Amino acid sequence: MTSAPELPVVDIDEIRRVMEDYYERGWTDGLPVMPVTDSILTDFLAQTDRDPDEVLLDIPHLNRACTVRLAAINAAMAGCRREYFPVVLAAWSALKAENYVARGIWQSTTGTAPMLLVNGPVRERIGLNSKGNVFGSGFRANATIGRAIRLTAINAFGLRPGELDQATQGNPAKYSACIAENEEDSPWPPFHVEHHFNVEESTVTAFTMRSVAHIEARHTTVPEQLATDLANTIARTGALIHETISACIALGPEHAHLLARGGWSKDDLRRFVLEHAVNTREALAAAGKDAVSGKTRWRLSSGHGEAVPDSTPDADVIRVLGSEQALQIVVAGAHNAGVSAVIETFGPRPDPPAIAPVES
Amino acid sequence: MLERAGVPAVSICTDAFVIPAKAMADVMGHPDFEFVTIPHPIASLTAAEIKTAVRPAVGDVVRILTQG
Repeated sequence: MTSAPELPVVDIDEIRRVMEDYYERGWTDGLPVMPVTDSILTDFLAQTDRDPDEVLLDIPHLNRACTVRLAAINAAMAGCRREYFPVVLAAWSALKAENYVARGIWQSTTGTAPMLLVNGPVRERIGLNSKGNVFGSGFRANATIGRAIRLTAINAFGLRPGELDQATQGNPAKYSACIAENEEDSPWPPFHVEHHFNVEESTVTAFTMRSVAHIEARHTTVPEQLATDLANTIARTGALIHETISACIALGPEHAHLLARGGWSKDDLRRFVLEHAVNTREALAAAGKDAVSGKTRWRLSSGHGEAVPDSTPDADVIRVLGSEQALQIVVAGAHNAGVSAVIETFGPRPDPPAIAPVES
Repeated sequence: MLERAGVPAVSICTDAFVIPAKAMADVMGHPDFEFVTIPHPIASLTAAEIKTAVRPAVGDVVRILTQG
């Protein structure tokens, strides 16, 4: 009989008691969180030159702010490794630049989630998945970086469901939503390079998202057919909250290459979808969305008391996307099937996307 | 916000938002802030239905507006 190997003495019951205590204090998203000590926090803060008290984002009407220190504590609780922290910090910069959070979007009945897109060398350095199951589970960096934002929303801003978070249904991405672009399997320049960053830089882009709609198009080889399928999904009437909406197409590599083989650039796809993501006046009327509110500019029926005509009252065919900036395009997922997704983002978005560099 | 600016005001929300309204009052430092509730929903009502829904709350609105 051999003697047992030397193991550190750890009282598992004590660790479970700590984790239960975090639950009782309301500090979790429903899943267990990692306990954080001063030394762990110090390790995270050592990943940046920024002052721990620097405010990353504040929500004035809540009298609350997220500092570098609070972001670090919640990233550690979320299960991040310390080397992920610069990506979390860039995510906060992008969320601030996007300018929805400070105005209260995380409290809204719409129930949006922050969707993060990561580009550049940091993807490989920290093991961010950009390929198979990119929206799914199984990758620590994706899972915990997205979760770091959610835990901060809960713990720094107090956005607990049923209290300050009034989401009617929310969506599954409220646990975590962080993808990387599959730059290696894309026929086009990476997203951040398209937006004037250097290919050697790493960036995080923030999208306030409502849902991820799945696109099946396995058998077509014709760019126009695929682009029509994408446009029809973007144009669905259920997505129409404002007069016009916005979206980010996450093309599977197979679809991206189908388009590139046909000579299409990202801009070609964007122009086609802008023109074809439409509804007829009749279809909008049938869904009770053929006019807009004079107060909120949200779509509603022309029979509604607040109704005023939309911006193109004489048109029988109405575009759902109001500008080229309202449609972003990235490549993500495995190069194994004709599958893509439409990330339905919040707001009309006439401005460039919110992209922040990752400090190295 | 209006009251801070010196304008007497009453907040009205539907009963679906009582918990967030109380949470916001706490956050703003006024846990005893009084507001008026009316039945949910509002967005899908006609103007006449809204009048019917708010009529029973008018007394509370006046009371809160005119108290110290």
